[in-house]
Amino acid sequence: MQVVEQGTAAFQILKCDLMPNESIIVEPGAMASQDVGIVPDASVNGSFIQALMLRFLGGESFFINEYTNRSVKPQALYISQPVPGDIQMVEINNQEIFLEAGSFIARTQGVRTNLRWAGFASLIAGEGLFKLSFTGQGRVWFGCYGAVVEKEVVGDYIVDSGHLLLWPSTIQLELKLAGGLISSFLSKEGFVLRLKGHGKIRLQTRSVKGLAEWLNARFWR
Amino acid sequence: MEQQKINFELQHRPSSTIAICHLPPGETLVSEGGALMALKGPVTVNTTTHQKKGGGVMAGLKRLLSGESFFMNQYQSQQNSQIWLCSALPGDMMIHHLTGQRLIVAGGAFVACDSDVVIDLEWQGMKSFLSGQNLFWIKAQGHGQLLLNSFGFIYPVQVEDEYIVDTGHIVAFEETLNFSISKASTSWIQSFISGEGFICRFKGRGIVWCQSHNPSEYGGLLTPYLRPKRK
Repeated sequence: MQVVEQGTAAFQILKCDLMPNESIIVEPGAMASQDVGIVPDASVNGSFIQALMLRFLGGESFFINEYTNRSVKPQALYISQPVPGDIQMVEINNQEIFLEAGSFIARTQGVRTNLRWAGFASLIAGEGLFKLSFTGQGRVWFGCYGAVVEKEVVGDYIVDSGHLLLWPSTIQLELKLAGGLISSFLSKEGFVLRLKGHGKIRLQTRSVKGLAEWLNARFWR
Repeated sequence: MEQQKINFELQHRPSSTIAICHLPPGETLVSEGGALMALKGPVTVNTTTHQKKGGGVMAGLKRLLSGESFFMNQYQSQQNSQIWLCSALPGDMMIHHLTGQRLIVAGGAFVACDSDVVIDLEWQGMKSFLSGQNLFWIKAQGHGQLLLNSFGFIYPVQVEDEYIVDTGHIVAFEETLNFSISKASTSWIQSFISGEGFICRFKGRGIVWCQSHNPSEYGGLLTPYLRPKRK
């Protein structure tokens, strides 16, 4: 299976060439256009309970969509995301990675999704009680709003909570106030994430919440 | 004397595209209201509800239904002039040369055309209710140039017999193609749980131009974070 990122940095989409009987798991609603030989097959995302948890606690879909080439010729599928921005791929080989809710786009069959406990502090920061984890072997595609920035973390690093996109399990997250109690709220930074450990993280240069806040301030004046 | 044509020049492609329309003397540029960014030269602007060749208030009203603006602007000049046009969303534009065949354009994708193109509203049937597009389409015909815009970039697909495009991703298609609304999967239940719901199934031979991103999905993602009006 050949998957290439198309378009420019501002508007990437995936063109996925499927050989006969090849398949790819795609986030529901992400298909933009496709050849007719590719057929979607929706099923529950893991076990019923797991799917419920993924849906309501992890911000993921209850169902997963597996697109398979049922024809005898190579067929193509275009996969898009709702926001303008980059799409990137990571290859995992039995290590565990975490993705920000909503950024998952597609994965190959050998990759599994799970929920991991993120803690009450994460809930307070608006990040949810659970975090979305990917394990197994294969490729995972994720999208972001804006551009993806890669950063090798060694030791300590601080990230604004809406901008962290992907991090490996070798990095622990800790929630803290951006400054003192008062300055954190005056500076509008609120909570930030302190990252500890070693590994490569990915950040997004824009956040949907940031755009919404900007718009909200301009509406209904 | 051969009448000089408008030269459309696209800049800042594909994410922040604008079109610089080089207008020769005597030519007319027809554009959607609200697309103007800048003018260079002694250009006169006529705002009407119709094109030169007929229409009227009804044409404007019909255009509203297609998601376009009620008024059209007609630009004319006695000298070489420039008209800079832009769109509201970030994305690409394309220039299409009509040579007699017809093009069906999604409402909202039309930006401008020269005076050799006749645009009219096209009713594609009740299926448009479910297509994720506007109820009316724009039918362009003639022997001229057409300027279209998109959310994201535009990719053309040469359809040989059948092709599927998700609702909301259509920019334009050749009239040799016919589309029908159908379910995304083999059963209706599957289609809705797959998150795709309805899709547009194109049949025939011709080109369909798709846009990489869907404006409604972008809006849908943003809406939960927007604050309602305070009473």
